[in-house]
Amino acid sequence: MRRLLMPGGMILLILAAALAAPVLPLPAPLAMDIMHRLAPPSVAHWLGTDEFGRDELSRLIWGARASLAVAGGSTAIAAAIGTSLGVIGGYLRGLPAFLAIRAMDVVLCFPPLLLAVLIVTLVGPGIVTLIVALSILFLPGFTRLAYAGVLQTRNLDYVEAQRVLGAGRARIMLRTILPNIAGPILVQASLTAAAAVVLEAGLSFLGLGVVPPTPSWGLMVRSAREVMGQAPLLLLWPCLALSLTILALNLLCDRLRDALDPQTAPRRRRRTMAAARPLAGAAATDGDATLLAVDGLTVEIATPRGPIRPVRDVSFSLGAGETLAIVGESGSGKSVTGLALLGLLPGAARVSHGAAVYAGTTDLLRCQEASLRALRGSHLAMVFQDPMSALNPVHRVGDQIAEAILAHARLDAKAVRARVVALLRRVGIPAPVARARAFPHEMSGGMRQRAMIAMAIAAGPRLLIADEPTTALDVTIEAQVLDLLAALQRSEGLGMIFITHSLPVVARIADRVAVMYAGEVLEQGPVAEIFARPLHPYTRALLDSMVPEGDGAEAGLPAGIAGNVPSLLDLPPGCSFAPRCALRRPACETLRLPLNEVAPGRFSRCPYGREIAAMAAPIPAARA
Amino acid sequence: MAWVLRRIGASLLLVWVVVTVVFMAIHLVPGDPAELLLSQGGSAPDPAAVAALRGQLGLDRPLLAQYGSDLVGLLHGDLGLSLQDQSPVAADIAQRLPRTIELLCAASILALGFGVPLGTLAGIAPGGMLDRAGAAVSALLLSVPVFVVGTLLVLVFAEQLGWADAGGFVPIDRSLAGHFAHLAMPALTIALGLGAMLYRITRAAVLDVALRDYVRTARAKGVAPRRILWRHVLRNALSPVVTVFGLQFGALIGGTVLVEYVFNYPGLSGLLVDAVNARDYPLVQGIVLVISVLFVAINLTLDLLYAALDPRVRGR
Repeated sequence: MRRLLMPGGMILLILAAALAAPVLPLPAPLAMDIMHRLAPPSVAHWLGTDEFGRDELSRLIWGARASLAVAGGSTAIAAAIGTSLGVIGGYLRGLPAFLAIRAMDVVLCFPPLLLAVLIVTLVGPGIVTLIVALSILFLPGFTRLAYAGVLQTRNLDYVEAQRVLGAGRARIMLRTILPNIAGPILVQASLTAAAAVVLEAGLSFLGLGVVPPTPSWGLMVRSAREVMGQAPLLLLWPCLALSLTILALNLLCDRLRDALDPQTAPRRRRRTMAAARPLAGAAATDGDATLLAVDGLTVEIATPRGPIRPVRDVSFSLGAGETLAIVGESGSGKSVTGLALLGLLPGAARVSHGAAVYAGTTDLLRCQEASLRALRGSHLAMVFQDPMSALNPVHRVGDQIAEAILAHARLDAKAVRARVVALLRRVGIPAPVARARAFPHEMSGGMRQRAMIAMAIAAGPRLLIADEPTTALDVTIEAQVLDLLAALQRSEGLGMIFITHSLPVVARIADRVAVMYAGEVLEQGPVAEIFARPLHPYTRALLDSMVPEGDGAEAGLPAGIAGNVPSLLDLPPGCSFAPRCALRRPACETLRLPLNEVAPGRFSRCPYGREIAAMAAPIPAARA
Repeated sequence: MAWVLRRIGASLLLVWVVVTVVFMAIHLVPGDPAELLLSQGGSAPDPAAVAALRGQLGLDRPLLAQYGSDLVGLLHGDLGLSLQDQSPVAADIAQRLPRTIELLCAASILALGFGVPLGTLAGIAPGGMLDRAGAAVSALLLSVPVFVVGTLLVLVFAEQLGWADAGGFVPIDRSLAGHFAHLAMPALTIALGLGAMLYRITRAAVLDVALRDYVRTARAKGVAPRRILWRHVLRNALSPVVTVFGLQFGALIGGTVLVEYVFNYPGLSGLLVDAVNARDYPLVQGIVLVISVLFVAINLTLDLLYAALDPRVRGR
């Protein structure tokens, strides 16, 4: 709101000067004094005199009246009538209302200045004509806005509720709908006022607007032009007045818009394509069969309320040909982990700590952007969650796959085309030659995700990160895509990190699983063992909350987990799951334990694994 | 293809609407053109003279008959006769229109030439030097009316520096260099404001597109940054730029009328202003019609361009 002060103040000042013109100690704006024409600035005439010896300052201030009368008058009339029409039309709906409102769009078929000129020709120039002409020009803008706003608002729950409660139509319109559309109308009004000032000045400048000798800024520019050789300053004053007024109105409009829609507010945050990543120490593991060894990965995002760490101290390793599932609720940091490995974190986030050694040699978190880019696609690939938004809507699917190939290999067009078709066939897309020429919006969701997978494997990566690749798909398609990924993983010997929130999917596809919660891995181990004998209370609770797969009657109802995931701004000091944990002990609330190997191949942050295992009958093992 | 035909059909309908509205405006607005024409001295005109003029202009015929003959005339490219010298309106316009169109094109090319590249550079580095400077400069350029910019340019270059080429017009067959020298200043004047608008839109669009998932996908494929910028970011950012260009075109035509007047450029503008001052309503009607049809045609072109840019539009 404070940002509105400056432009608002400027406009009030101009308005006040215009209104006060008759009482200000100014020479009469029409008083001619041919003897002192084109006089330079003096004590008597602060800005000098014009070609008829009239006081320039006085004419400038009186000229504001013409400008503001036209701008204010036409904006007010257009806003009042236009908004009412839009609100009534939108509220009554129906075809007649729609047609009536569309009919007004006829005005938009004409360039505004031309329509105004036509009206001036027919009615004759003058301030009243201008107000009428500009009101007509601006009417459809307000009507459209109000109409659209009402259509949006009238079906909102609380408006429906009022109707059910028996509020009258007029009352609903006045009390609920108008305040809702007031913001956009206000923005439109400031935009319209600026346009009106421009049009009035333009028409007066052409000699088709305000009739002399009434002072108007446009007219003053017009007459000063004739004598600009002798008195260039005379040209400057009205130009300055006009530009400042329009600037103030434009600023007001921009800032109103920002105030109403924080999304468009100027982003101060600096976003660069490649961020430098300062890292705190981490050890690189020596080369063995391990494809990827992640150690202590921590991601930090600077927020106005201090840094938050959506991923903290995440460690895991992955062998070639192995599938590791990362499972967790939304906001557990699993997707951020995947993006961090590829160096694709959004601008505000950065890796603050840790190492991710690929193929025993390359620390992905310390790579320069250029060398990381050489690895992306050809060594590390990613399948994203929503293929509709992850595929570029304006390029053919085949071209997008070809791009992945060409980013890493020099091939002629024919070879690339053959490879694209082979890839599409490989991921089970029927009629691959035709499909390669399709746009993403012409494919079904499952087909798009298959294309996305084809794109990911196009340059022969060794590590595939699949970020909830089936979340946007329905159940039967999900099963097909999972089978496809599993088959590709086997035949290519890919290492796969499969990010998901679904335990049945984990059971179906993964060898090992890492359970993430509030940015940390709480438990990690082979899928079958973890499903059979969880060693962390959170894993246990997750498994209990699964919809049982057996007969509904025997298996019982899934159990929810009490409480909520903690805010990243306010993490518990001890175990992050402690506040929701049924087995909480006093030490849990203060002591934060690392991920320990509690049994061979089994890692957990909870020291009470044995008790959890003994707690109840093992949960029926999912088919792993 | 069906979509294209539908769009063209809608545009023809729009042209008919424009013609009809202009006709109705002239004939249904209170006040009689003949009376207006004769009352220029200020005193009430002689009723006999008014009646004679009405007969001469065909204003005494039934409205529908007038409307019908106007439409038939239009289809033959006949816009009636000017009241001032009885010359055919269509010929007057045909002589001036190409110059206006040339000016519009030159200004658009200039504006696109600096608005879009600078907007792109600002959009990929928000908060940078260029972005901050661009925000201030574009706000300024958008606030100074186009005729003010033109007048100030004339003041500086013609009056103070004594350049002779700041106004007027040289036919292209007389002197190529002279022709473009006289075109430069008015075109630049229009381009400054339009370019500032395009700068802002391009910047916002690039900023928006750069955050889209498909840009991240391209990065995940290992595509080079330059190629990502061209093929993924700019290619998608162009659609809003085209849309806004279309929305701005009405204002652009208004600006062109003013700038022609400022620079004494003999396009449609001078003809229009003279016609209005002389109450030469057939000429005004003709000019408004021609420019409005041009306006509709440009919007149709931009719509088709938009569809070419975005395959999702074509299906509908």
